[in-house]
Amino acid sequence: MLLNLSDQSSETLQQQIVRQLRSRILTGELAAGDALPSIRGLAKQLRVSVITVDRAYDRLSQEGLIGSRRGKGYFVTPVSAKKKTAIARQRLDDHLDKLVEDALAEGLTPDDIRRLLETALDRR
Amino acid sequence: MHPAFRCTGLSKSYPGFRLGPLDLALQPGTVLGYLGPNGSGKTTTMHCLAGLLRPDTGQTEVYGHIVDISESGWKTDVAYVSNRQSFYERWSGGRNLAFLSEFYPAWSADKAANLSRRLDLPLQTPVRDLSRGNRVKLGLVAALAANPRLLLLDEPTAGLDPVVRDDFLGVLFDLLETGECALFYSTHILSDIGRLADELAFLVDGQIVLRQTVADLLEDWRSITFQRTTDLPELKSVVEHEHTGRDHRVISSDGDTTIAHLSELGAEHIRPMMVSIDEIAVRILRGDSHVATD
Repeated sequence: MLLNLSDQSSETLQQQIVRQLRSRILTGELAAGDALPSIRGLAKQLRVSVITVDRAYDRLSQEGLIGSRRGKGYFVTPVSAKKKTAIARQRLDDHLDKLVEDALAEGLTPDDIRRLLETALDRR
Repeated sequence: MHPAFRCTGLSKSYPGFRLGPLDLALQPGTVLGYLGPNGSGKTTTMHCLAGLLRPDTGQTEVYGHIVDISESGWKTDVAYVSNRQSFYERWSGGRNLAFLSEFYPAWSADKAANLSRRLDLPLQTPVRDLSRGNRVKLGLVAALAANPRLLLLDEPTAGLDPVVRDDFLGVLFDLLETGECALFYSTHILSDIGRLADELAFLVDGQIVLRQTVADLLEDWRSITFQRTTDLPELKSVVEHEHTGRDHRVISSDGDTTIAHLSELGAEHIRPMMVSIDEIAVRILRGDSHVATD
């Protein structure tokens, strides 16, 4: 498992691992049933502490995206399309909250924000 | 299960300096970074753990065996690496390794050979002609070939060039994969262990002032900017505070608490940012913080 980790990021290494694995699971790059590297194996590969990977896996388990089988390590959990959408929606919502708050503070009107969001979607 | 090491009431005094009393333990398979300024007692602690120095009070166990010159149970479990390692200077590295192998029942000649190759360590050269980097590499090879379950690293990378340092750290990351070895790593440079250590212990003037996981430190500490026109009371968990006019910036050892407190006080434009582990360490070691851990 190769991930991009940076010490210069505004996220902790743990957050970077969680975000990148989550994104791979939600996009289907990692499919239900796929095995994840062992905690110590991934720590070695990414050159991070064991506790960093341990906590990242913990987080993903709590989100229901991965699970462990005794003695067999971690696997990607089957996640329904509905649940994936729910997680994606939640994450967008979190981002938007912050963006909207900043935009309003910087003087944009709700209509400005709506229009910009439409434009961004139209560019896709 | 016994801890990899445990010291209880450990103390050692020299004229003008006292280490401890320390109570410190390390779980098997984990990495504890030991940070402190020069002269804070890191090496003294290491020497007590390695059985190189007899403490004035207290005792140390390694995997349940008392560390004492007259006992032997602990010796094969511990290896010690520093940048001042002593070898037979006129012998080659290879001959030094062969000599050391006699003392360690779990010694692996294969491991010594593989590691030497991996680290590009010349084994034919007399030790006195080795560069500083190669001497440290030889120390690491000697330590790991003995298959220790506790590796004590005393500022091992001090004065090494970045490439050697990176090779050295790579070997340690690999070593941790099996979970059979615990690392106690002293340094005053954080970049060595920021990614390697599960936990950090901060030593100031012979006392451990804080021990916490790196993850928790990063999660708790925040640099926060905000605006406020009127005077502020003492802020909760704040270890540093500067302001120009109504612009304020504080460093907090518990961001959530400080932010909640600031909101209560009606501060405006509260913006928190993460604090790097280096910056956190400096503030803890400087000791000007009451480092709130409640």
